[in-house]
Amino acid sequence: MASLKRSAISDPFASNISSKVYVRSTKSGKVQKIVREVYLRQDIPCSSQLCQACLKTAPRNAAGELTPFVLSDRPAGTKTYPQGHYLVPDTNAFLSAMDLFEQSSAFYDVIVLQIVLEEVRNRSLPLYNRLVGLTKSEDKRFYVFFNEFRLETYVNRDQGETVNDRNDRAVRKAVKWYGEHLAQTKTKKGEAPAVVMLSNDRDNLRKAKAEGIPASSLADYVGQLKDGDKLLDMIPDAQDRDVVRDKKSNEHLYPEYLSLSKLMTGVKAGLLHQGIFNVSPYNYLEGSIRVPAFPKALLILGRENINRAVDGDIVVVEVLPKDQWKEPSTKVLEEDALTKNENADTEEGQDFITEKERKALQEEAKRTLQKTTEGHAQPTARVVGIIKRNWRQYVGHIDQSTVSQAGKQGRKQDTVFLIPMDKKIPKIRLRTRQVAELLGKRILVTIDAWDRDSRHPAGHLVRSLGELETKAAETEALLLEYDVQYRPFPKTVLDCLPKEGHDWKVPASTDDPGWRDRADLRDLLICSIDPIGCQDIDDALHARPLPNGNFEVGVHIADVSHFVKPNNAMDMEASIRGTTVYLVDKRIDMLPMLLGTDLCSLKPYVERYAFSVIWEMNAHADIVGARFTKSVIKSREAFSYEQAQLRIDDASQQDDLTNSIRTLLMLSKKLKQKRMDAGALSLSSPEVKIQMESETSDPIDVKTKQLLDTNSLVEEFMLLANISVAGKIYEAFPQTAILRRHAAPSKTNFDELSNQLKVKRGMELNVESSRALADSLDRCVDPKEPFFNTLVRIMATRCMMSAEYFCSGTQSEDEFRHYGLASEIYTHFTSPIRRYADLVAHRQLAAAIGYEAVDPSVRSRGRLEAVCKNINVRHRNAQLAGRASIEYYVGQALRGRPAGNEEAFIIKIFSNGFVVLVPRFGIEGLIRLRDLAEPEPAAEFDPETYTLVTSGSRQVKVDLFQKVVVKVSDEKNELTGKRGVKMELVSP
Amino acid sequence: MSTNHVLLSPAELAYLHASLSLLPPLRPDGRAPNQYRPVSAETGVLPGANGSARVCFADGTEAIVGVKAEIEKTASRPGLDGEAEEGGLDLGQGAVDDDDDEPSDDASRQGSNEWVEMTVEIPGYRDDDASTVFLAAMLSEALLADGEFVRRLWINRRFHWKLYLDIILISPPLSYPLPLLSLTTHLALLATRLPRLKSEGDEDPLFDDDWAASEYLYSREAGKALSRPPLTLLVMAVGNNIIFDPAKEELAVADVALAVSVGEAVSKAKEAMDVEGGRALRLLSVRTIDPPSRLTPPGVPNATNSAYGSAAAVAGKQKQPSQPEGRTLEMEQVEGVWKAPRGGAKVLVMASLVDKVLEKGGVADELFDALEAVDLG
Repeated sequence: MASLKRSAISDPFASNISSKVYVRSTKSGKVQKIVREVYLRQDIPCSSQLCQACLKTAPRNAAGELTPFVLSDRPAGTKTYPQGHYLVPDTNAFLSAMDLFEQSSAFYDVIVLQIVLEEVRNRSLPLYNRLVGLTKSEDKRFYVFFNEFRLETYVNRDQGETVNDRNDRAVRKAVKWYGEHLAQTKTKKGEAPAVVMLSNDRDNLRKAKAEGIPASSLADYVGQLKDGDKLLDMIPDAQDRDVVRDKKSNEHLYPEYLSLSKLMTGVKAGLLHQGIFNVSPYNYLEGSIRVPAFPKALLILGRENINRAVDGDIVVVEVLPKDQWKEPSTKVLEEDALTKNENADTEEGQDFITEKERKALQEEAKRTLQKTTEGHAQPTARVVGIIKRNWRQYVGHIDQSTVSQAGKQGRKQDTVFLIPMDKKIPKIRLRTRQVAELLGKRILVTIDAWDRDSRHPAGHLVRSLGELETKAAETEALLLEYDVQYRPFPKTVLDCLPKEGHDWKVPASTDDPGWRDRADLRDLLICSIDPIGCQDIDDALHARPLPNGNFEVGVHIADVSHFVKPNNAMDMEASIRGTTVYLVDKRIDMLPMLLGTDLCSLKPYVERYAFSVIWEMNAHADIVGARFTKSVIKSREAFSYEQAQLRIDDASQQDDLTNSIRTLLMLSKKLKQKRMDAGALSLSSPEVKIQMESETSDPIDVKTKQLLDTNSLVEEFMLLANISVAGKIYEAFPQTAILRRHAAPSKTNFDELSNQLKVKRGMELNVESSRALADSLDRCVDPKEPFFNTLVRIMATRCMMSAEYFCSGTQSEDEFRHYGLASEIYTHFTSPIRRYADLVAHRQLAAAIGYEAVDPSVRSRGRLEAVCKNINVRHRNAQLAGRASIEYYVGQALRGRPAGNEEAFIIKIFSNGFVVLVPRFGIEGLIRLRDLAEPEPAAEFDPETYTLVTSGSRQVKVDLFQKVVVKVSDEKNELTGKRGVKMELVSP
Repeated sequence: MSTNHVLLSPAELAYLHASLSLLPPLRPDGRAPNQYRPVSAETGVLPGANGSARVCFADGTEAIVGVKAEIEKTASRPGLDGEAEEGGLDLGQGAVDDDDDEPSDDASRQGSNEWVEMTVEIPGYRDDDASTVFLAAMLSEALLADGEFVRRLWINRRFHWKLYLDIILISPPLSYPLPLLSLTTHLALLATRLPRLKSEGDEDPLFDDDWAASEYLYSREAGKALSRPPLTLLVMAVGNNIIFDPAKEELAVADVALAVSVGEAVSKAKEAMDVEGGRALRLLSVRTIDPPSRLTPPGVPNATNSAYGSAAAVAGKQKQPSQPEGRTLEMEQVEGVWKAPRGGAKVLVMASLVDKVLEKGGVADELFDALEAVDLG
């Protein structure tokens, strides 16, 4: 009987074919044995520019072109390999020290083996993406070698060999082959470059040595480099951790996580709950997690229950028994205050929970016990497993107090704590040799691991951003913290720009294809109104009376979709960036400058492509008709809000342009009234403007923004255009229109605020509908205190949901509503230069009016959902970054110029402090009891009436909403080296 | 297939019957009564299956068996495992107890016959043909007889493996295929591997994705299976002779044909038995098979054969009762004349058949040994 199986003897090509067998578990619970045949070939090139042999055999594309070889013919040399070398890192090298490979000072000519790339992908998707990014960058010369498909480098798994061992062997074999292969190239210049394996696995290194393969551990290799000392900090010290672990193997600080299968079973059965872990901004030991099974968030209290979860992680929790349910804390706990005397080096001598933490907990318990009102207790939970870590890179600075004397001088490796900028992130233990250099710097680190026996997560340095409080470092820190893409646009993106550059003009001949289906609106009196110094002018307006007594009103939006075609590199980049980010002194553009500030920008006196929405309105601002068209316009003037206002107010100006602005203003007021009648909310958030010294752009003063009539003029017409466009694209694409919605807030969101208003002021907050809310907000007036109404509005805004982009097919129609604007349907259309959503809306509208064919990308629901998800996140981050930037500059403006006697309002009260809002600066600050006087006064907190009465060293009584006078100054915390705004209570 | 007619004349049948009745019997292919036809076998012929085997008999019949396993949710059986509802998902502490060795929760392992689905395909026969269905029933009956097999498919109280056995005869049925199919199934099951379970207790099962780490359905130690699937042997008797693995022609003259399924007895004392060097065999099921001999037309002695006319009568010199319309009457056994067997098998013959099968060092024993030698690569 001839065997049916393939064997080496019977089949001459058997050596070219191999197979891979593995078990695949599908999401639906199926478990399958998968057999894949692997066809081995010999024409996969080594991609070294030295190699002639591969040049001949390497596969060519249909045009007969060869993919250019990647690896340099003159690679850098080191002490050990003076002839030059190529690097072949193994999987762990990438996993543990990806930051190293991204360095620009070293790590060029790297061979990424396919097996390594696959392993990296299985272990960590973010790292994989970074690695792929590296292989795509031209200057780093990373080459992916498909060792698993090349006959010479393929290895069969031996009997009883683990997958890891087999893969390690494959790596060694590839290194060996490369070495031998390159040795044959025989360069005239002399020796062929060495091919060096990089690994941190001792066993692998030993075997490589035995087989005569050049290999080096990461630390040894980095040690040979020029700035090796600095780079050494980027290698997480695995060996060291092993030693520590041995020392106290049976004493773990944190409970073990449950196995993945247990977690999944529990979650499916509804016994465990999965969600995103959030840390309270006021108390680092209090986390919360929203899970679908409970209407309110579950509390996670204490270090042990939080069990190594970090803000943003996707975790699985188990609800604790009812007798352990608690109230959310009314106390402010800051990590650096409670644990500031910890020593990063010697952890084992300490208790898991520090004395101070314990004391804080005791007080908490006492308070809970005194309370008889059981109803306040909330379900609590503990973390039993982590589904996905959401660790990113964190910006922070080194805690000075943890630096030993020796560390300040020598080059010895020292362990220090890093205090992240984000208060929700725990301190990170960091080993570094450059303590002296890093002190007082903003630095970027990543977390490597958080072991059960380590109180704090361990991380390693990525790079230093610069001195604390320097503008460059702080700005970069901000951008990194909020994940803003701030690198310059890559060449591929810039290649998508029009070739003419700044000389691009609207074609003179109307026969040009660019004019196809465009309305010629060049003779209309169009102008733009924007803030001072605005360069990216998205919108322009016009109005003119019609013979029938009605008005024609036009909103003209920059035609960005003409320049940014779907799915090219520029479109991709813009969709990733999502939005332009405005910082106080800097703007991070979504689109390259050329488009944003010139070709698309509706600059005055030049012809520009636009997308116009033109309505016919009667004198009551009722819309008679609307039409949408691509157009060519010529803006007559670019006003600032102030200029426009002056011109309107100046009765002597009677030219057509000014009159058309007056018409617009008249109509906008009517539109606004209609909107208010419909129940639109006028919400508030403190907005300030930083005045800069023009030369140095140092902040000199802070002012609250003034709102003029012209601001609201532009706003009204933009809202109207957005609403009109939303209706049009939804009609054309009922499933895939990109819209924006603002969900009605759930009533419980307002519980606390309405209770506070009732208790303190006897005011009712009616949250039945947006109309009712708007009305009741209008009634929240304190005749003695004009700011009180704004204060309530600010606080109400914080109870709201945030608006979000969505794809119309994902929500039912009654969920489309924009609560804040009281509009049934809404989208963003008017700022395509700075928002990606608007660009998509432009494309959809263009398709809806038959201007162009529908691009698949604006019709694919899955794609649009992904876009919406991304831009929602980006939008939010951009806002946060902008706010943080203002906060930083306010602090800088106050530097050395403390502002005494500022009015402030109490917006939140804890049992050991309270938060005040200073309207003039738009900032909030925490005043702790211990800041009031020395020694810390005793205090009694009544959560029912929101009052805090102190006694002893200083006697004050503070109420919620109370107006107080504070002194605002900047303060540098000597302990942490952090500068912040400090508030002192002046009176009462 | 039992009705698979052999084109042999009554005289040939009579000759066969006579030679098989000799002591020792003389088989047409010269085999000893307990000798199997030469077999060649290999496993792992279907890379995508969990286990597979291919067996060829020297007469050219050939079969392939593939075993596929799928995860299936166990339908909750109220009464039986009610406590699974509350106690089932003991995360944390409880799971540790579950790690205990097999025997402790062996009792809770309850299999169900529905966890095995077997289909037999014979070229030229419909899959709902009675004989095909009967073959599948016989093979699965042996497998399920003692409940031991389905217990192997138990994963936890909520999940089990569902096993699909596809048995295909790829040559025309040149002889009754039962022994071949049983051998092939046996080998395929021996070679069957299931992914290694990583989860514990009653969690949703999670498996090691490394196929090399998968475990044999019949666990093995040092290349030897600790226990083995059952075998179904085809045995027939002619007179008092017991003949194993009959060829088609032999079956055509069988007095009685039995399908005897034999398994290894599972006893706690198994290790002790192994020391003695034997295995405890256990009878799982016995089925009688209708041998084609019963349907073969009987032969007529020349003396009574009217076709030979008077000449025959003269030669016989015997007074024969005249035969109206040439109908063959029942008659005494005549040497050299084929007479289809009538009536059931004799109890004594049956008993000795079974004895012979279970005999220590007998055919079944030898067969088990021989199959052990097949490489399960």
